[in-house]
Amino acid sequence: MELHANLAAALGGFVWQLLPETVLCLAACLLFLAGTFRLPRTMYGILALVSLAGAMLALIVVWRRVPFVAEAGEADLVNALRYAAPVTFTPLGLLFKNLALITGVLLVLLGWDEGGESSGEYHACLLLITAGISLVGSANDLLTLFLALELVSIPTYLLLYLPHVTPASQESALKYFLLSIFSTGLLLFGFSYLYGLTGTLNIPRIVETLAAAQAVGLNPAEASAPWRGLVLVALVMIVAGLGFKITAVPFHFYAPDVYQGVSTPAAALLAFVPKVVGFAALLKLLGFTGTDATLNALGTQVPVLLWIMAAVTMTLGNLLALWQSNLKRLLAYSSVAHAGYMLIGLAVAPRLVATPDGIGSALGGVEATLFYLGAYGAMTLGAFAVLHLLSQNGRSVETEDDLVGLGKTHPRMALAMTLFLLSLIGIPLTAGFAGKALLFFEALGVNSGKLEGLTKEQAAQAAEQARLYGYLALIGAINAAIAAWYYLRLLGAMYLREAIEPVPPLKQSPALVTLGLCVVLTLTLGMVPGLWLGPIQKALRPGFNSSGLTQAPGGPDGLVAPR
Amino acid sequence: MFSPLFAASEPDLLTPLAGLLWLIPTLPLLAAVLLALLGSVVRQWSHWLSVAAIGAAFVVSVLVFVPLYGAIHTLHEDGNHVPPLVVQSYYPWIQVEPGKAGLGLGAGVDIGLALRVDALTAMMLLMINFIAALIALYSAGYMHGDPGYARFFAAVSGFVAAMNLLVMADNFVVLYAGWEGVGLCSYLLIGFWYSKPTAADAARKAFLVTRLGDVGLFLGILMLWYGTGSLTYDVVFAKLQEGGLSEPFLLTAALLVFAGAAGKSAQFPLHVWLPDAMEGPTPVSALIHAATMVTAGVYLVARCTPLFMLVPAAQLTVAVLGGFTAILAALIALTQSDLKRVLAYSTLSQLGYMFLGLGCATMAGGPELVKLAVVAAVFHLFTHAFFKALLFLAAGSVMHGMGHVIDMQRFSGLRQVMPLTHATFLVGALTLAGFPLLSGFWSKDEILAAVQQASETGSYGASTYFLLLVLAIVTAFLTAFYTFRAYFLTFWGPLRVPAEADHAHGEQGHGDHGHGHGHEKKHIERDSAHPKASYESPAVMTVPLVVLAVFALGVGALLAGPHTLKAVKGLSFAHFVEATPGLPTDAAPHQYNLNLMLLSSGVALLGIALAYLLYVVQPSLPGQLARSLGVLYQLSRDKFYLDELYHIVFVLPLQGLAQLLATLDRHGVDATLRAAATAPHWLGQVFRPMQNGLVQFYALAMVLGLTVFLLALVRSL
Repeated sequence: MELHANLAAALGGFVWQLLPETVLCLAACLLFLAGTFRLPRTMYGILALVSLAGAMLALIVVWRRVPFVAEAGEADLVNALRYAAPVTFTPLGLLFKNLALITGVLLVLLGWDEGGESSGEYHACLLLITAGISLVGSANDLLTLFLALELVSIPTYLLLYLPHVTPASQESALKYFLLSIFSTGLLLFGFSYLYGLTGTLNIPRIVETLAAAQAVGLNPAEASAPWRGLVLVALVMIVAGLGFKITAVPFHFYAPDVYQGVSTPAAALLAFVPKVVGFAALLKLLGFTGTDATLNALGTQVPVLLWIMAAVTMTLGNLLALWQSNLKRLLAYSSVAHAGYMLIGLAVAPRLVATPDGIGSALGGVEATLFYLGAYGAMTLGAFAVLHLLSQNGRSVETEDDLVGLGKTHPRMALAMTLFLLSLIGIPLTAGFAGKALLFFEALGVNSGKLEGLTKEQAAQAAEQARLYGYLALIGAINAAIAAWYYLRLLGAMYLREAIEPVPPLKQSPALVTLGLCVVLTLTLGMVPGLWLGPIQKALRPGFNSSGLTQAPGGPDGLVAPR
Repeated sequence: MFSPLFAASEPDLLTPLAGLLWLIPTLPLLAAVLLALLGSVVRQWSHWLSVAAIGAAFVVSVLVFVPLYGAIHTLHEDGNHVPPLVVQSYYPWIQVEPGKAGLGLGAGVDIGLALRVDALTAMMLLMINFIAALIALYSAGYMHGDPGYARFFAAVSGFVAAMNLLVMADNFVVLYAGWEGVGLCSYLLIGFWYSKPTAADAARKAFLVTRLGDVGLFLGILMLWYGTGSLTYDVVFAKLQEGGLSEPFLLTAALLVFAGAAGKSAQFPLHVWLPDAMEGPTPVSALIHAATMVTAGVYLVARCTPLFMLVPAAQLTVAVLGGFTAILAALIALTQSDLKRVLAYSTLSQLGYMFLGLGCATMAGGPELVKLAVVAAVFHLFTHAFFKALLFLAAGSVMHGMGHVIDMQRFSGLRQVMPLTHATFLVGALTLAGFPLLSGFWSKDEILAAVQQASETGSYGASTYFLLLVLAIVTAFLTAFYTFRAYFLTFWGPLRVPAEADHAHGEQGHGDHGHGHGHEKKHIERDSAHPKASYESPAVMTVPLVVLAVFALGVGALLAGPHTLKAVKGLSFAHFVEATPGLPTDAAPHQYNLNLMLLSSGVALLGIALAYLLYVVQPSLPGQLARSLGVLYQLSRDKFYLDELYHIVFVLPLQGLAQLLATLDRHGVDATLRAAATAPHWLGQVFRPMQNGLVQFYALAMVLGLTVFLLALVRSL
């Protein structure tokens, strides 16, 4: 009885965890309402900022009041929360909430003047998207996850359409909408298979079941091929559905057209936010946030899929970017390529061997991906911010020719753009370099340590895998070199050529704050990566997140089932 | 028998010295850096900083010298036979334990910045800093008004710093650092007027030729390290004496080290850079190419005596090359018309003498011979520094007065209008010629004595040494002759002054006027119609001349004469220098060879008399002789065509190779790279049509991709 009462209270208490999201949604509703009153545009922006501030306060309250799920109390309570609650408060979730709020602020400032007459709706959509990102972080079962993903997607459709209604933006918005719902369909299909295979919607439970079953299935005598085939289908569908969001090949086709057609702040949002939620969802669903044991949920095939996707995504993104003269299309392909780099971290994670002290070094791959996500956000939002700031006064800066001579006409803007371009290339002292270095070193670190207790075949296999992932790092490095060409071409245009039609002087705009913050972040993450890497590493400690599985000594067999 | 090489005994007098050592290279270095950075600010006052720094270094050298001298003076009295030595380490640069140095070498590496002072070093320091200070003072007058005034003094200070470092090195690495430093500063100074193509070419030639030698030196150092496991002098030499290294190994190492010395000290076949180096300002010639840098090679071989002693074949090579250089240079100097070139060739010749002396230090003659030979060579280095610097500075004074004309065919009879310069030049000339009882006489005679002793050993190469003795005496005769030829041509005869002398004399800057060294035929051959009463140089230039003249006169007698007079033994140069670690200690003192002294005096006087005859009494005679000698005269005048030979044999093939490689690079490597760079573009073009803008196509592509993944992965289950 007592247990049940505690449980009920605990389960009911999950509402408290949603306080920041609630604040944001309420504020969004308010903004939708206020939008009908045709207030001066800055009012909406201010209201949005105020509500973001309120959400931050709410987050602090939650952080103080609500314990992390792993520390909630006795084991029974922990298990109950973990395997029954729709949302749980985990360190990784907290990380994503923080990331969401910062992104929200950056995007609100960037899109301050957007939306024309529908500015209120614009900002409301931004708030809803922010709520969605933070909800994705805490989602604990499939329904909540789906809800959160849609909470991001649907306002995005609106957001793409609202700012200025031109044929190009209409086309882009529609393309995005159609392809997005298509990919959501794929995702739901995968979810349905997962439910069918495991009988539960709870994500930790699903992951553990898959892991256990895969572990058993690794023993040929007890193989259950049809079951593993179905798991594979489910996982591939999920990867496909989420692959749309993260612009992985072959789900990336929408990116260049949509980025080109919509307004620059909307393109900035598209370049970053879906990647965040996509990778967050991937991390949860594929078992990357647990221990090495949960990574077995992937089986033997999905890591191969990830390897191929990473390689192909990087390469295609960079190869096609070489031909682009339209800056937004160029940045779109560049974002495709960067998604490829981030996938390296995920591809590598299942292969990194854990150290005997139980700290899953597989997390090294995940850490690298999350670090690169943050670094990528700073540099891409910054690049789009530069384009947006230059595009005022009715003249949009779209092509490379518009950037020509920027070094003389707008030296500080050119300097900021240089910084972002250098970071995108991966020059040391910028965030891009730190991220790439982490990712490549993780790839090269596969099976590089001493592997104890392995038989000869296992050792040979391990060496073979090490080589394969070395190739992945090599492909990454070659791609970084190829990418340098089109970024440097922009640098050259800015500094080495004379302006044909100089860009007029800038207006003061809150977007400058976004630009400034992005510059600071790019430099800081480049020079002191620990500032971002540290929180990521703390957030990914095993056992604190989606799974209660403890590290099994000696290998994938011998799992400790939760009580 | 041989001195223990470790600084086992350091009388208390010497310990405070160790703290002073760092000042000697550092003070000029500081001046160099300051002048380099603040040159545009200090401009006219640059010379103060330089002179002060070098002067301070000299003072510190004296402070270091005095206790050392005291220690040596009492060396054998207390039954203590260990030569004093002060070593101070400053910074352990590279330290690798034995066995970990890689390359399968058992030796470790312990290279640090360590300075040492022993008798040899102290002597070198005194000489270098004293002469350099005088020359810096002189340059204040000579270089007055030159746009690169500060740069000049920065380079000179840097040079002195590097030279000090070189002689104070305690290990081969610091030696090499100083070695390279003097090479660099020499390059900067030879090419000081870099806008003049001949000067730039000369600087480059000097640098490249000495570089060849430097490579040899570096290889030699590596061999020594490989063989002995250390790079510190004392340890290396001790290990060498223990034996165990094969003859060929030692021979190669010794010859490689000598190659470095031959490069820096311009011995055949690496001598070609020194005459061209006269393109630099005359104080530079005085400092670098008379007194200091070219003596670095002699110092190196003297320092490495323990190595050379073990390889008589290497000694013989050194002697032969030295002797050959001496006579070759003397033959060329006979016909030159550029006063500075005459002095340059005479430097070559005298350096040859020094190496001839060093090459006589064979063990076959016992430790006395080793000691005699090395001390003789070093003594000649010492005296030569003074009188050659004097001669160059006097020549510079002539140039200064004559408006930068140095072709002896354009002026004569200058003793009437430049009395002080004339007097000091005469002193220098007499000393160079080996006039009895002057310093040059004593030092040259000691070398001749060493060669003679070497030829009497009756062992390996004794007959070669005899031949070299004959060559040396002939060279002494030639030296006297060409020196006084130059003297009489310049200062005797009717007074003739070139027109430039009247224009440029005064306060005008020397700027780009550094030209006209006698080989240009295009300048206007015009004499001054109304020569002035005096073309003498200002006091700032003549005072150093006088000081050097006094030293040139006296120092030889002062230091060598009392050698046999045991009563005043303390002042003897030889007595001081022979107390250098590495030289045999317990050798009997040298007895003078009266016959040799008479012979060398005789040939010197003969040479002077012949020059007087040909250039004062019968001025038409040289022309007739030149015509009758025909080819020989041409050979001498054109430096035996060695430069042209080198050009054909070395320079042209290298240029051809460079061209070939450049073409290969342009058309081979670059083309390949460009092809590789277009590959991604081409690939991108292949995939471009996929992006056709149709949303149906996009959706189809997504599904197709998905299907491919599914099929591939499920199949491989």
